[in-house]
Amino acid sequence: MTLDNIVHSEDALVRRYQYDDRTVLAVDLGPTTEPSVDVVDDTVIVVVDDDQYELDLPVDANDAHTFIKNGVLSIETEAAR
Amino acid sequence: MKLTVKPLKQKDAGRGLAAIDRASMRELDLENGDYIVIDGSGESQAVARVWPGYPEDENRGIVRIDGRLRQEADVGIDDRVTIEPADVKPAKSVTVALPQNLRIRGDIGPLVRDKLSGQAVAEGQTVPFSLSFGPMASSGQSVPLKIASTSPSGTVVITDSTTIDISETPAEQVSAGGPAASAEGVPNVTYEDIGGLDDELEQVREMIELPMRHPELFQQLGIEPPKGVLLHGPPGTGKTLMAKAVANEIDAYFETISGPEIMSKYYGESEEQLREVFEEAEENAPAIIFIDELDSIAAKREDAGGDVERRVVAQLLSLMDGLEERGRVTVIAATNRVDDIDPALRRGGRFDREIEIGVPDKDGRKEILQVHTRGMPLEESIDLDHYAANTHGFVGADLESLARESAMNALRRIRPELDLEEDEIDADVLESLQVDESDVKEALKGIQPSAMREVFVEVPDITWNDVGGLEDTKERLRETIQWPLDYPEVFEQMDMEAAKGVMMFGPPGTGKTLLAKAVANEAESNFISIKGPELLNKYVGESEKGVREIFEKARSNAPTVIFFDEIDSIATERGRQQGDSGVGERVVSQLLTELDGLEELEDVVVIATTNRPDLIDRALLRPGRLDRHVHVPVPDEDGRKKIFEVHTRDKPLADAVDLEWLAGKTEGYVGADIEAVCREASMAASREFISSVDPEEMPDTIENVRISTDHFEHALKEVNASVTPETRERYEDIEEEFQQAEPAQEQDQLGRTFQ
Repeated sequence: MTLDNIVHSEDALVRRYQYDDRTVLAVDLGPTTEPSVDVVDDTVIVVVDDDQYELDLPVDANDAHTFIKNGVLSIETEAAR
Repeated sequence: MKLTVKPLKQKDAGRGLAAIDRASMRELDLENGDYIVIDGSGESQAVARVWPGYPEDENRGIVRIDGRLRQEADVGIDDRVTIEPADVKPAKSVTVALPQNLRIRGDIGPLVRDKLSGQAVAEGQTVPFSLSFGPMASSGQSVPLKIASTSPSGTVVITDSTTIDISETPAEQVSAGGPAASAEGVPNVTYEDIGGLDDELEQVREMIELPMRHPELFQQLGIEPPKGVLLHGPPGTGKTLMAKAVANEIDAYFETISGPEIMSKYYGESEEQLREVFEEAEENAPAIIFIDELDSIAAKREDAGGDVERRVVAQLLSLMDGLEERGRVTVIAATNRVDDIDPALRRGGRFDREIEIGVPDKDGRKEILQVHTRGMPLEESIDLDHYAANTHGFVGADLESLARESAMNALRRIRPELDLEEDEIDADVLESLQVDESDVKEALKGIQPSAMREVFVEVPDITWNDVGGLEDTKERLRETIQWPLDYPEVFEQMDMEAAKGVMMFGPPGTGKTLLAKAVANEAESNFISIKGPELLNKYVGESEKGVREIFEKARSNAPTVIFFDEIDSIATERGRQQGDSGVGERVVSQLLTELDGLEELEDVVVIATTNRPDLIDRALLRPGRLDRHVHVPVPDEDGRKKIFEVHTRDKPLADAVDLEWLAGKTEGYVGADIEAVCREASMAASREFISSVDPEEMPDTIENVRISTDHFEHALKEVNASVTPETRERYEDIEEEFQQAEPAQEQDQLGRTFQ
């Protein structure tokens, strides 16, 4: 499951912002019934209702900070440079 | 914490998000997704969810919210607002009231919840609710829902587990102390509803919003704030919309003058009405007066027909820049005929700035499509990028009707399921409505770019595949026309300008027009076809005007291919004939200046065909005008075989028919002759079939008919070669002549290019 699938299946708003020191990927899933997110190794697992999405982090991304709040999923990775 | 309000990008609008730059987010101790309260100077406030700020806003103390939130919080762009983290509880249940005129049967609770989920609402608030379809669809507007009550009370957020109740009392009767609906007379358009006009909008705002909000800035600089802005551009590009949005966003008093309305039959009354509008605006300053279709009341005085018209113009002039101070009243005028406006109006102090609103480019079109499909349930597979790329020359209004037509097509699909006798429409049906790919495709067929209606021709359905032989010619056409559009970066890197025109010459029937058709189809451009003689008009000056108009249309709808068939009819050498009072010569001159004049021809390619290149004015053929001369030759044996292949592709041929043999027998035949041969052969076969078979048996035996070698032999006798060796020789001479004029480096160039 790639990110694009999430975008389409959930009619979500996905934006990737590149800051100086980090990249933020923000997804507005709409406040559904409490989606949850977990990071296992280099994979972000998002569970929305009964659907599960997996999303690979970039290989060189270190220190991914992932959280979800009121339907806004944020994945912050430090820019690998 | 105080932050400056900026608009959200169009595509992010409508979700109740507030993009806050990261420095401010850290300071406020906020995370993405947190709820915040946006508090303007007034009493109203809005609740939004935090969205990561755009990278370009870093450290600028900016909060970006969309027009709805701005309205809710009663703030405008560049205002300072207070942002505080909000404590918002998920709602257990919410009661909403629907407007009285909305008639939907069934339980729309889930539908409302789906649409509203994630939004923070408070009692008494009016929430725009986009139904997308149903009774309100035609207006493209959303239904105002009123929140009658919430549990728990206070600001709550609607989640998937919220129960939505529909109130028995209609929205109009639910009175609550929430923010009142927008003031009378102020249109309900926000900046997010305008797509693809960012630069223009910025200019308008700078001219109008700044002086209204902060007149002291201008006092400090010792200058008078601008008094008026003139928006001009083709119809449907968004001039009126922009004026409406500005009026709405700065919350100014808005007064509209529509030209013909103020005209009165009584002496002096037209002027008086004009004065009244300005007076009223002055009393309600700050105010915006919007004059739509300015050309109708402010035409050039020397051209104006009657006394009244002249006096109205004079009145307008003195109102705009009279002795009396106008105060904080700004005039926005819109017109699509800027050259018809009285020149006295177009000077500083009256309309200080003229802003051209052009036909949107690809990115603009995408933004516009996003705006118009925002509330539309689109199927996932629909790629707006694709449609944005495919709609050259479409203006905002065309794209809007594209979106509307697509939706209407979707509606048509479910029409049979609808019971129109019923008072209300089933909520399930509403929910199942979706616009799919075929709807949009179907809609696209029926909509033409409005700026081109007059000259629009259906792009012919001919591809390179339908052109037999002529490989070299095809390749050169592709280089000239398709490459600059497909690989602009290469042309930029090589510091090379795309060719402006191609002239195709060759004996009659060799496929020049066919090639032009194929180019038009393959180049994915707009296509204007000009038949030479139709440009000529009996009035002096009109023929030239025709040429001018064609090029103007082409420019505003670029990329465009202009196709002149038989150009020798309008571009004969000057200084030869004296008979026609020189119209022909003036048309040629006009063509020359259009092709290589002061005005740039951007992404406009001219293709001309002729079979008398020797008659055409030399100046037209020099580099920079029709600089590529493509000889479409009489086909050689190989070419003829390919042409036979094209024409016999779908014909039932007998196995014995040898195309190579046919090609060998048809020395001197051109494409048109070969087509005639094939037609004649099929005709001979049909003749034989029809005269020998009983009509009743026809359906069974028709499958067995074949065109045999005999038929072709018969056809070859009927159709003679239209090109004699002399003609061919003449064209070869002409070609030689033209080739010399061209840079002579066609050969052995390939090897060196990539060194």
